[in-house]
Amino acid sequence: MAFVGQKLVKQIQTTGLKATVAQRLDDAFTRFTAGLSWNDVRGVLRGDPPAKPNPRVKPHTEGFWFHIRPTFYHEAVTTLYPTFRLGLLSAMFFTFEIITGIFLMIFYTPSPTYAYGNMLDILTNVPFGKFMRDLHRLGAEAMVIVVTLHMVRTFVTGSYKKPRQFTWFTGVVLLGVTLFLSFSGYLLPWDQLAFWAVTIGTSMADAVPGIGPELNLLLRGAPDIGAGGLLRFYLFHVVLFPLIGVIFVAVHYYKVVRFGISLPPEMEAIGEDTARKVPPEKRVNFLPDILTNELMYAGVAFAILAISCATWYSAPLEHHADPLVTPNHTVAPWYFYWLQGLLKIPHMIPILPSGIAGEVDRFFANVFGLTPKVFWGVIVGPLLFAILFVVPYIDPNPSRRYGDRKVMLTLGALFAAAIIYLSFAGIPTGVPITGFGYVGGDPASEVGQAFIPDEGIGPVRRLPYEEYVAGKFPVNAQPNTGSAGLDRLIRDIHNDMEARKVRPDPLGKTLPADATGTLEVKQIQSNLRQVIITIDYTDVNGAPTQFKKYTFLHAQSGYAD
Amino acid sequence: MSIFKKIVTYRPSFTVRILTGLISMLILLSVCTFIGLADRTRLNVRATEFDARSIEAGAKVYFDQCARCHGPNGEGVEGLGPALASEQFVGRIELVRDDMQMQSIKVVQPSERIKQIGWSGTLEDYIIAVTEAGIPIKTSNVWDVTHPTFSERLGGPLRGDQIRNVASFIVNYGLNPLPNDQALLPPAPGEGMAPRPTPVPLTAEQEAGKQVYLAKGCAACHAIRGVGAQGALGPNLTRIGSVAEERIASESYKTNLKDQPPATTAAEYIRQSILHPNAYIVAQCPQGPCQAGLMPQNYEQQLTPEELNNLVDYLSSLK
Repeated sequence: MAFVGQKLVKQIQTTGLKATVAQRLDDAFTRFTAGLSWNDVRGVLRGDPPAKPNPRVKPHTEGFWFHIRPTFYHEAVTTLYPTFRLGLLSAMFFTFEIITGIFLMIFYTPSPTYAYGNMLDILTNVPFGKFMRDLHRLGAEAMVIVVTLHMVRTFVTGSYKKPRQFTWFTGVVLLGVTLFLSFSGYLLPWDQLAFWAVTIGTSMADAVPGIGPELNLLLRGAPDIGAGGLLRFYLFHVVLFPLIGVIFVAVHYYKVVRFGISLPPEMEAIGEDTARKVPPEKRVNFLPDILTNELMYAGVAFAILAISCATWYSAPLEHHADPLVTPNHTVAPWYFYWLQGLLKIPHMIPILPSGIAGEVDRFFANVFGLTPKVFWGVIVGPLLFAILFVVPYIDPNPSRRYGDRKVMLTLGALFAAAIIYLSFAGIPTGVPITGFGYVGGDPASEVGQAFIPDEGIGPVRRLPYEEYVAGKFPVNAQPNTGSAGLDRLIRDIHNDMEARKVRPDPLGKTLPADATGTLEVKQIQSNLRQVIITIDYTDVNGAPTQFKKYTFLHAQSGYAD
Repeated sequence: MSIFKKIVTYRPSFTVRILTGLISMLILLSVCTFIGLADRTRLNVRATEFDARSIEAGAKVYFDQCARCHGPNGEGVEGLGPALASEQFVGRIELVRDDMQMQSIKVVQPSERIKQIGWSGTLEDYIIAVTEAGIPIKTSNVWDVTHPTFSERLGGPLRGDQIRNVASFIVNYGLNPLPNDQALLPPAPGEGMAPRPTPVPLTAEQEAGKQVYLAKGCAACHAIRGVGAQGALGPNLTRIGSVAEERIASESYKTNLKDQPPATTAAEYIRQSILHPNAYIVAQCPQGPCQAGLMPQNYEQQLTPEELNNLVDYLSSLK
C-alpha cells in the first residue's frame, strides 16, 4: 500500500539523506524561480554562459513576473543610447513611491484636524519618518522629470510611430497619472504651500463653462477645499491614480514586450520595424545581462536619492493651511508653472509688444462669450496636453530618421520652448530679461517679501537668534548695532532698497527715492524676539505711507541650520 | 569616435554592473544605518525646533487676537483682561534636556491661578480650554466682561492648531514671568465692583505690615489684589483704606457698633476690626452675609504691638 511519503523514503534509501534534502530544496527553489535551479541562478549572477538548451528562458514563459519582460533585447538598445533607461527608471520610481508611500500612510490621517499634526509627528517622532518623507517627495519630483524625459526621448527617436502608436498613447496617460499623482500628494501635508497651490489648481475646474461649479464641488467636496477636499485628494492619491497607473503600466509593458524596444532609427529601413527580428548573434538575453543592468541602475538611482535626502534635500513644510491668509507669491507645483504662465497671459497685455493676447481674448469673449480664464486655463491648457495624445496619429511621415523629420522635430522643439517659456512666466519673478509674467506688489512690500517671506525662511529668519540685539536701527550703509550679523543684514536691506530705487521692476515701478527703512528688534519673551522692518516713503499722491512687516524669532527654531 | 558617442554607446561589462550595483547597495545601507544610529537625537532636536516655531506662530496669534485685552507684554489691561505673563498665572518653568537632546518643560513653581480656579489639568490645558470655550461663568464681578469663545468649533476665529500655538506661547512666559506687583492680576473671587487701587510705593513699616498680613493667617480669609492672597471668607481688603473712611461716616456703623467707642480715623477702624472683630459686622461677605464670631478674637495676644502697628499702617494705605 502506498503512503504519502513512500517516494521520499525510497529516495532516502537509495541516495542518502543529505543528497535527498539538497535535491528537494533545489526542486522547491526551481518552482519558486519558475524554472531556474540554484546552479542556474548562480550562473546568472556570475555571468556564466548559459547551458544548452538555455534554461534562462523558462521564467519568461512559465512565471508571472518575467512574462512582462522580453527574453532578449537587440544589442543596439542595450547601450545608454537610444533608451537612456528612462522607461525602466520611471517604472522603478513608481514602485519606489508605492513603498515609501505605504510607510507614510501608516502615520497619516486625511483630516484637516490631524493632517498637519501627523506631518509634525512624522518629522519629530517617527524613526526614519523624515527620511521616508524626503525620499517620497524627492522621488516624486524625480519621477516627473524622468517620465517627461522618457516622453521627450520617445518623441525624438520617433519611437511613437507605427506599430507603437498606442504604446505612446498609454505613455501620455501615464504622464498625466504621474502629474496628477504628484499634484494630489501636494495637498496632503495640509500646509500653506499645499493648500494654496491646490486652490489655484482646482479653481480651473470652477472655470469650466456650464458644469464648472458642479465639477468643482465634485473635486473639492465643498465650495472651498476643506475636510471633504482633503479626503478626496487623499483617495485620488492612494487609490484612484495608483490604480489607473498600475493598469496602464501593465498595458504599456505588454506593448513593449509585444513590439520590442525600437532600434536606433538609422539601423532600420524606412517604414520597417525590425525590433522583434533579432538575429541570434545580436541577441542580449534578459538573464543575466539586462537584469543585472537594471539592478545596477536601480541601485545607483536609489543610492543617489538616499544620499540626497541624507544631505541636502529636505521636503518643504510650511505653516498650517489657513484659508483666510493667502501668502504672497503663491505658486502651483513647478510642473504646472506652464499652466500658471498661460493664465497670466491676459494680465500681461501691456508688456506684450502688440497686445496679441488682448486681441485673442476680445475675439473669444465677443464671439463665444469666453472669459480669459476659461480660454487660457480650460481650453488652451488642456489642448496643449491633448496634442501629445494625437502626435502619432497626425504625423504622416513613416520615417524615423532624424534627417527626414525636420518639420516634426522643429515643432517638438518649439513646443518644448513654449512650455519652458510659459513655465518661467508662471513663477512670480517672470521670464528673465523680458519680465513677462512678473507679479509683484508695491516695491516696499517686495522688500518685505524678500527679507521676511510669508512662507519659507528668508534672510531675517536665517540670521541666528543670537546675532540680534534689541533696539531700533535705521537702515543705512554703515549700520552700527554691535553685531556683525545684524550689520550685514541691515546693509543687505539697504542695498536691496537702493537697487529698487534706481531699477524699475518689470511693471515700471520703483521704490520712491525718499524711502527710509528701519529695523526694530524687540524682546518679547526671554527666548523670543520680534523683528520688524518698516519702510517710510511718500507715495505717488504725496501722502506719507508706511510699510511694516514683522516676524517672530525663537532662540531654538533652527532656521539657520 | 567622439567622447559623446563613447558615452552614449557605453555598455558596462558584467563585472562593472555587479560591482556598481553592490557598491550602491552598500551606500544605501550605510546611509540608512547612519540615519538610524542618531535618529532619536535628531528627532528630539527637530521636535525642539518645531516647538520653537509653534511659539513663534503662537506669538503672532497672541498679537492679533489676545494682546488687546491681555496687553502686548501679557501684563493685563484694566477692565478687560488680567495678566497672563504674571508669576501668579504662569508660575515659573525651566527647560531641561536629557542626554538624547529631548527637551521638556520642568515646572519649578506651579500656577497659582489654576489652583485657585480648581483646575485639575495642566496650565497649558487650562489656557487651551479657556481660549477655546471661554469661561462659562464669571469668576469675578469686578469687570463687566467675559472671555469670548475663540475656537472655530464654537463660532470663534481660531483653529485648534492656532490655539495650541498660543498656549505654548503663553506657557513660555514662565521662563521669565512678570513679578506679580508689575502685573494686573485677575480679580480675586468675590471682589466688589471697585476700581483697582492705585499702587503706591510702600514704606518700610507698611512692607513689614504686608508680611504680617501674609504670615499671620489674614490672607486665608481676606483677599487683597496684587499680593496673591485669595481668601474669600471675610471681606475683601483691596481698598480697605478708603472703605474704612466711608464706613466710619456711615449711619449703619454708628447705630450697630457694640461695646466699643466709635473710630474716628480709618486706622482706628482697622485696628478696632482686628482686635474686636465682633464690634461691628459688615453686611456682605464674598460668600453671603458676614457672620459674627468667625474671625479669631485673640489677635491682641497673637501680634506684638509693633506688628499690629505695621499691619494697620499697611492696610490703611490700601485705598
